[in-house]
This record gives sequence, C-alpha cells and structure tokens, in this order.
Amino acid sequence: MKTPSGLRPGELIFALMLLAFSLVALREAYAISGFSGLTTGGVLPMLASGIMVVSGLAILRDVLRRCLLGGEVSLSTIGAFLLPMRLLLFGALLLLYALAIPRIGFIAASGGFLFLSILYLWRRGFVWSAGISLVAILAVYVLFRLVFQVVLPMGSVWS
Amino acid sequence: MIETFGFFATSWIDPYLLMLTAIGTLAGIYVGAIPGLSVTMATSILISFTFKWEVNAALALIAGVFVGGVYGGARSAILLNIPGAPSAIATAIDGYPLAKKGKAGEAIGLSTVMSVIGGLIGVLALALAAPLISEIALKFTSRDYMLLGIIGILLVGTLSGESFAKGAFAGALGVMIGMIGLDPMTAETRFTYGSINLMGGVPYVVAMIGFFGVAEALVQLEQVDKTPVKQAVSKIVPAWYDVKRYIKIGLRASGIGTLIGALPGTGGDIAALLAYDDAKRSTPKPETPFGEGAKEGLIAPETANNAAVGGAFIPMLTLGIPGDAVTAIIIGALFIHGLKPGPLLLSDTPHLFWFLVGNLTLANLFLLVFGLTGIRIFTKIVECPRAILIPLIVIFSAVGAYAIQNNPVHIYWTLAFGVIGYLLKKYGFQVGPIILGVILGPMIDANYRRAMIGAREDLGQFALDFLTHPISLILSTALFIMLLSQTHALRWLSRAARCVAR
Repeated sequence: MKTPSGLRPGELIFALMLLAFSLVALREAYAISGFSGLTTGGVLPMLASGIMVVSGLAILRDVLRRCLLGGEVSLSTIGAFLLPMRLLLFGALLLLYALAIPRIGFIAASGGFLFLSILYLWRRGFVWSAGISLVAILAVYVLFRLVFQVVLPMGSVWS
Repeated sequence: MIETFGFFATSWIDPYLLMLTAIGTLAGIYVGAIPGLSVTMATSILISFTFKWEVNAALALIAGVFVGGVYGGARSAILLNIPGAPSAIATAIDGYPLAKKGKAGEAIGLSTVMSVIGGLIGVLALALAAPLISEIALKFTSRDYMLLGIIGILLVGTLSGESFAKGAFAGALGVMIGMIGLDPMTAETRFTYGSINLMGGVPYVVAMIGFFGVAEALVQLEQVDKTPVKQAVSKIVPAWYDVKRYIKIGLRASGIGTLIGALPGTGGDIAALLAYDDAKRSTPKPETPFGEGAKEGLIAPETANNAAVGGAFIPMLTLGIPGDAVTAIIIGALFIHGLKPGPLLLSDTPHLFWFLVGNLTLANLFLLVFGLTGIRIFTKIVECPRAILIPLIVIFSAVGAYAIQNNPVHIYWTLAFGVIGYLLKKYGFQVGPIILGVILGPMIDANYRRAMIGAREDLGQFALDFLTHPISLILSTALFIMLLSQTHALRWLSRAARCVAR
C-alpha cells in the first residue's frame, strides 16, 4: 500500500523516529569513551551511529520531498498498513506466549500458542486446530528434546 | 593430491554425512518451495541446533539445505506461480506459463537438470578460484580487512535495498548491535546498561532468527488467505535433445551466476535476474516469446541461481566476507565451531575447505535425484496453509534462539528483533545488511584498532597507509567509487566542476 507519491502510510513518522533513535545512539556511543583516543572502544560505535544519523537525515529528506508531492495519510490508514487487526491479535498472542514460557514451560506454552493462533488464522474449527497443534507439538518435542537434546524451559508452575 | 581427494570424499564415504547431506538437500527443496519459508530462515534456525555437533556434520546438513533451497523455489514458481524464494522470481516469469500449457513436468525436469549443471559449475569455480584468492588475501593487512568489511556491508545494503541511505542505515544498525557487550580489547562495557544478559553481547544467531524468521512470519500474515492454484504434472525427466539444445545458454548463465554470487553482497536473486535479462538479449528469436513460456527464460535464471551458491562461498571462505545472506549465516556457524574463515582457512584447515567442495558437489547430485522424483507428495506438502506455517515458524524461532545458550532471555530478544525487522521491512529496508553488520562489525572494530595502533595513533599516517599500500589503495579506491556512484556526490562534483570551468 503506497500513496500516489510512492509514500507508505506513516513513513514520515517512521523516518523521524529512526532519526531520533540514531541521535540517542550517537549520544550513547559518545558516552563510552568520548574523544579520549583513536583506538578506544567508542570510536566504531560513534562512527556507526554517525552513519545512522546521516543516512537517517537522507531518508527523512527523501520522505519529506515525496510528502510534498502526495501528502501524508491519516492515522487510521497508518494503522491499517502497519498494524492490521490480524497482526494486532497475533502480536497479542505472541506477547502472551512470551509471558507464559517461564511460567508454564516451553511445551505447554507453545502448544497453547499453536492452538490459539491456528484456530484464529485457519478458521477450521476447534477439533482441526487442536489436532494439528497436538501433532505439531509432539513433533517439536521429539525433534528438539529427543533428537537435538535441547533442554527446554520447564516452567515455574511445575517445579 | 591423494590427501585432498580424501578430504573431498569425506561426505561421500561416511554413511552418516551422506545421510545428512541427503536429508539437508531434500529438506532444502521443501524449505525453498514452501512460500513463507526461506533458506536464510531455515539455516539460521538450524545453526542453533547443530552448533554442538561435529563441524562436518553441521556443515553437511546446512550446505544441503542451501543447495536444495535455492532450487526448491523454482518448483513453487512453476507449479503455483509463487516463487518460494527470491531467487526464483525470474523463474516464475516463464515457468508458470509453461505449466499452464500443460508442460509443468517438462519445466521441472529441465530446471532440475540445468540447476545441477549450474550448481556443479559454481562448485568447480570455488575449487579453482578459492586457493588463488586465498594466496593473494594472505598479503592483506588489518587495514584491508577493515575496508573489506565496510565494502561487504555497503554492497549488501546498496544492491539489495530500495536506496543507499536505507542500506547504509541498516548496515550501521547491525554494527551497533554487534558492538553490544564487553569490548574484547579493553573489557570495557558497551551499551550494556548494567544488564548481565547484555555483557556477553547479542549472539549472531539470535539476531538472525529474529530478523529473518520472526519478521518474515509477521510479514507473511498479510497473505494468510491466499490459496495457490496448482498445475497438473506429467513427464518429468527431460529429453536429452532439450538439455543439449539449451546447454549453451546454461553455460552462459552459470558464468553469470558464479561471478555475481562471488561478489560480496549479491546472491542468487540478482544472478537469476541478470541471467534472465542476458538470455532475453542473446535469444532474439525464441521458439516461444519470453514471458509466455520460453524455455530459455526458465533455464537461465535457474542455472544462474544455483551457480551462485558455489560463487558465494568464494569470498566467504577466502576473505571472511559473506557472498550473500545465507553465507553470512554459514560464516556465523563457522565462527561458532571455532573456525576463522579467511585466507588462513585454506592453509590451516584444508580438510574443511575440500570437505565443503565435496559436500556441495554431493548435494548437487542429490538434487538431481530428489528433483526428478517425489513430485506428487511435493505438491501436497507445498499446499500447507500459511495459517499453520506461521505459528510453527514462531515456535521454531523461539526454540532455536533459546537453544544456543539455554537462555530464555534470547527468546524475548528474538521476538523483539522480529518486530523491529517487520517494521523495517514494511518501510522498504532490507534486513540482510543488519545481519552482516552484526557479524562484520566486531571484525571491522578489531581491525580498525589494530591498523590505527600500527600507525601509532597518528591520523595522518593512518590515512597515508591507504594510499601507499597497493592492496589498500585498490580496496579504498573501490570503496570510494562505490560511495560516489551510490550517493549524489558524483552529481555534485560534476556540477561543481562545471561551475569552476565557467
């Protein structure tokens, strides 16, 4: 999805955020060792963050130029482009999954995540989603725990 | 000579390695073919599980996935009109029209045979060129490695992205991520903010899985509802007459593929597009017009992208500079196994180099076998809905990130990198330069500081060294030309020159 000028929704805000992040990174890089020497640990981080600032400015200039051609779009269009409902819900599931791993363990959390996301994304009903999740999580267990011998996180609830 | 042959044949005679190469190639074909899965994603996840393995076993599996994956994209491009991998974009242009005419089997057969020919030529180029380049690279100093690292990151940034600024930004961001942790020279902390988890730095693989695996899964969410239309497949083994007829175009495409693959920063995708363009120019009167099912248009990109695999290994093994995103990941794997890709790799560990050459050759032969068989099961598996694949990719990414150091925090990092990668991708940034920055950043840092210490911290002497040493002069000229051509500097300079002339 692009505007007539070739601008993506929210590109101006994103370019501004990148520039702000680059400036913070430059300040943090300077804090490592300042200009105390040419071989200190802060030299390359300062150079890299400097490049980020310069390229961030170039990106912003390009975006501003295109903004003049076609104009920015509304907040709702940005939302639809960047965070459509499906991504928001999937993102919420991801967050829940990340929070659940240390509590209920990897296998249980992954099983739950698989079931809920397949149920939501595939829309073939409870039985299909549960069946596929079960087979998949069994395969994950056999492959990773038994074949690759990865000690998966157990979860604080069970210990 | 006999010893070299022994190294070459290691994976041919060891049943375990033979099996791993076969599994890798077969799995690679599916990974490459299933839209939503990519070779970079698969190799980055694989590394997290194989780093405890013996190096040959890990490399056998990864090289197999690489070779199979580059080819696999063609199958879904021909059958479903969905290139499974970026390197198969050009393949779909003529491959799918061929399939619609009922020639899907013929197209798959031809693309398989020509892929294998291209792949073998790429490996031959690797075997011949790498020792020569290594010898030259032995004369490289810290300064030259610093320059090579910068060129590598910039090339990936400029050739694969929307704009030079975006490529440079992504590369620099990667370097910053690579700087997190303890400074190896002074043990000073950089960007750790007192966190013990950050002291050890960000493992390459965690960043790779996040940027390539999770980010790609999030991007794929938009296409969950797309259902592919598949074509019927008949006879697969191609006629000898056809192979003989198109061998010339295949050889040309192999040359292009190897050369493009060997350039740091360019991979199979660019090689395939260039070879397609070359085939179009060099075939003024094709039997069927290009875009409507010309066999030349199918063969050229398929041969080139497989030839680029061998080519991509050349700078990676001889200079320590990855040729493309997958070799950037493989370089990470070599580091994890305690190996240092670079000019000394060939003299210090010749067994590893010749093992890889032998293994890539073997993987290409397996490709021929698997490419011409199992098409019915293939069409069933490729139809696996994205709604199931996407959550599975997330699970694999999470377990992959965790397995490196059995550290649950890495799962969160991977998910966070995935979200950042998603945002960057949505705004036209490539994630390849970020990964290269993470890998090459510490190398650039160490070599810059060594070179500066060598110049006794005298900035004038440091700058002069770039002009007085032949290799440094060549590399810095290349970097300078690259910067001039990619930025507006050239236009400004010519305008300034015109003003002065007036």
